[in-house]
Amino acid sequence: MKAKWQTVFLSIVLAAVLAAPAMGADTIKLGALYNLTGGMSSIDAPALNGAKLQAKLINEAGGLLGKKLEVIGIDTKTDQKAAATGAKKALAMGVVAGLGYGDTTFVMAAAPLFQKKGIPFVTSGATHPMLPKWVGNCMFMVPFGDDDQSFAIAEYTFNKLGAKKVAVWTDNSMDFTKALSKFFKQRFTELGGTVVLEDFFMMGDKDFSAQIARLKNAKPKADAVFISAIPNEAGLTVKQIREAGLTLPIVSGDGFDTELVTTVPGPKLANDVYFSTHTYREDNRPEVVAFIKAYEKEYKRPPENAFAALGFDAVGLIADAIKRAKSTEKNALRKALAATKGFKAVTGEITYSRPSGVPMKGVSIISVKNGKYKVEEVWFPKK
Amino acid sequence: MSSGYIAQQIVNGLILGSMYALVAIGFSMIYGIIRLINFAHGEIVMIGAFTTLGLLQYLGLPFPLVALAVLIVGAVVGILIEKGAFRPMRGAPQVTGFIASLGVSIMLQNLGILFLTAQPRNFSFPDYLQRVIQVGPVSFRSIDAVIMSIALILMGALLFLVHRTKLGMAMRATAENIDVARLMGININRTIMATFAMGSALAGIAGLMWGGKFGQIDPLLGFVPGLKSFVAAVIGGVGSIPGAILGGYILGLAEVLFVGLLPPIYSAFRDAFVFSTLILILLILPNGILGKGMEERV
Amino acid sequence: MAAPSNRAWHVVLLVAGGLLVLVARATVNEYILSIINFVGIYIILAVSLNITNGFTGLFSLGHPGFMAIGGYVTAVLTFPVTRKAMFLELPRWLAGLQLPLLPALLAGGLCAALTAFVVGIPVLRLKGHYLAVATMGFLIIVQVLITNWESVTRGPLGLNGLPALTTLWWVYPWVAVTVYAAWKIKFSSFGRSMLAIREDPLAAQCIGIHLFKTRVLSLAIGAFFAGVAGGLWAHLVTAITPASFSLVMAFNIVVMVVVGGTGSISGSFVAAVIFSVITEFFRPLEESFDIYGIGEILMAAVLILILIYRPTGIFGSREPRFLVAKES
Repeated sequence: MKAKWQTVFLSIVLAAVLAAPAMGADTIKLGALYNLTGGMSSIDAPALNGAKLQAKLINEAGGLLGKKLEVIGIDTKTDQKAAATGAKKALAMGVVAGLGYGDTTFVMAAAPLFQKKGIPFVTSGATHPMLPKWVGNCMFMVPFGDDDQSFAIAEYTFNKLGAKKVAVWTDNSMDFTKALSKFFKQRFTELGGTVVLEDFFMMGDKDFSAQIARLKNAKPKADAVFISAIPNEAGLTVKQIREAGLTLPIVSGDGFDTELVTTVPGPKLANDVYFSTHTYREDNRPEVVAFIKAYEKEYKRPPENAFAALGFDAVGLIADAIKRAKSTEKNALRKALAATKGFKAVTGEITYSRPSGVPMKGVSIISVKNGKYKVEEVWFPKK
Repeated sequence: MSSGYIAQQIVNGLILGSMYALVAIGFSMIYGIIRLINFAHGEIVMIGAFTTLGLLQYLGLPFPLVALAVLIVGAVVGILIEKGAFRPMRGAPQVTGFIASLGVSIMLQNLGILFLTAQPRNFSFPDYLQRVIQVGPVSFRSIDAVIMSIALILMGALLFLVHRTKLGMAMRATAENIDVARLMGININRTIMATFAMGSALAGIAGLMWGGKFGQIDPLLGFVPGLKSFVAAVIGGVGSIPGAILGGYILGLAEVLFVGLLPPIYSAFRDAFVFSTLILILLILPNGILGKGMEERV
Repeated sequence: MAAPSNRAWHVVLLVAGGLLVLVARATVNEYILSIINFVGIYIILAVSLNITNGFTGLFSLGHPGFMAIGGYVTAVLTFPVTRKAMFLELPRWLAGLQLPLLPALLAGGLCAALTAFVVGIPVLRLKGHYLAVATMGFLIIVQVLITNWESVTRGPLGLNGLPALTTLWWVYPWVAVTVYAAWKIKFSSFGRSMLAIREDPLAAQCIGIHLFKTRVLSLAIGAFFAGVAGGLWAHLVTAITPASFSLVMAFNIVVMVVVGGTGSISGSFVAAVIFSVITEFFRPLEESFDIYGIGEILMAAVLILILIYRPTGIFGSREPRFLVAKES
């Protein structure tokens, strides 16, 4: 009896696996590499949703060059090995461009393989400003660089919040968070402020009581604390700091751009939090409104975090370049991407005018007061 | 470093430790009876947390009812896992059970991602559990006090159960020698099932506490408690329930104190310090702190 | 059982393997090639962990730690000198050094083996779960140190842009060497003493086996191959980060050893192939139906089913009959 069930089970699986690749006719294929399972999935899964949504909207409006756009989502399991094989898989499927990832280390495992083939790779959420330099001319970024977002919040903290002494908490297990802290300290000290305390934690930490006790006891007292974290730790740190009775302003970067910042501590404790992020939250530009409406219609829930909008923009950016190049040939597409000017993305206008290859985008400063988000200002890089 | 600061850090360590201890008790109990390193224990913590979230926040059931439901859900899931995965391979080498539990754990994690998405969700408890209590220079929250007392009460209850009741006697007999226990007329399957049900119900409750304490849950949250309870149970001496609790406290204290008492630059090295300490303890006490000297082979 | 191995079959398998590599290189695309490469690396990892874990019965979760050491040593040694100056702050002798892959791999393997000696001497006093936790601690300590030793490892960012040197012609000869070494050990008197320790340490000691020496050596041999595998890995992915060598990876390798059969070389080989291919096999299912994670769920189901039907693994502690010459 048991053996029979096994046979049935296995044949169903086999049939499904064999039937699957038969689908998909003549389309323009984009390979979307994301960590859809494992530790990074809460960041990457919404990005793929955004990317697929954009493709769907483009197809509903008639497609590109008379063809349908197909976004092939490849799960790389929060594993660098899977990132490398995933990139090779996408290339073997004949994608015209790759996109993906909200974290630099994974981009660095996948993007160089695209570069080697001369096929463009657009990262939707990785923000290291050196990425285009490290990978080469096929590497494109949708988001601003970590330097921009850190400078923005450092200037806001110093000038507008009037904080002259800060404490800096860094998630020491990630490159993104370390880079963010580095740039924040750089600009904050340039402005004349001092860093009175530096503390560290690791991704996945749930308990920050030791760091909080030290923050309480810091001498001289910190006027604000900069927390360099990803969304998973954003709400937890705010909640625990406020519960410990500390009321100093908490500042951060786009890792704090998540509902968790208000929902985890609750409206009473979610106060005096400021973060720099993509110009999207609480924004009323038509692109933003349309995106949120479409996302809610498609997935029956609001966008989980900014990465959803960034994934949406990544596909939009590539589609825009394909339209201008009137071709999907890799060199034409790469040139068209590099020539992107004033592309109206949900997360702000994208123009590749800097030698670094990082787009010049506005950075929103968002405040949280009594559990409500508000755009305080939009910061623009000087050069 | 003032004495108030140090006292606060020690209390923080004890609070975190009692969280670990709470998870480790159930883990150690299952290990004690059938020598199974059950990594799926952490996933039951996750299931307990999500059950609480669903019933408390979405259905709005009263808190005591929710706690009862979580106990039942934990027990049922534990029994299902035992029946589906572990019973068919009973008698196999210990490591087989361990690997199977990893399989169960991978399965539950990914089912969680599939059905609940990987997004962390906020988790809020009734206000009376969130209140801040100030004792001299030290502050903690009411839920921390609850967790601490539950861990201690459970330890007492379990010790009573194992040493003073008929079921407990059957459990100990089964732990000692399955074949002899069977010959003595003990219903092995029922005894093991009862152990799983109890251990898993405890994991479910630990999930409720975990969610309440940290205020945020996601489908991958089971990995950390699963791992920490394994470590805590081993440090305490595998199979010993007081040992598991002790191990949990040592782990919690080590994690907090290495961050809190050393200069901040060493915070980044926390896990290296913690595990160095644990290895040192094991080198001095090769069978854990309260473990019996038995030849174990995985 | 102490019979010599069946040479004819070994030669046949080796030639068949060589032919397969040739055919693969000529026919399949880079994606399939990279999977075949990773399969080879996992075979090295599983077979080498079997030396430690299967033969001698030391329950080690530290394999990825040795792999990380080997991987980083190899990567630093092959890193082009010009890029070294750009990215790393190394002592002078190292900054100007750039080695070909083979010596770098050997250096990586030796460093891993050396670490195994240093770690093994205190830690191998422990047994069972206690050893498991201690080796897990070792793995976590290695990860923390790599993450924080920025001047050489670039911290969590890791080393990237490594030359893509690893090819099938690098991986599969190493697979052959690993399997050959494991085989030689298993069917030697040294291997017998390992198995004896696993079955009954006290009895083994009574018949004059040096318990401690054998244990340390089996850890070190396993570590050597893990280090080599780490080096091959780094130059296949072309990037190496501390997060890659995680506890999850340790579990994956242990799964392969146990499912194959603790102590069975062929078992580790087969299980490594199964578990590194199976999730790729389910990929099309995930990608066309948008249900990510189903591959892992099915893989776990397969794992549990195998263990239910073969509780001691596919091959138990034995090798398939045809590979071992008949007892006289």
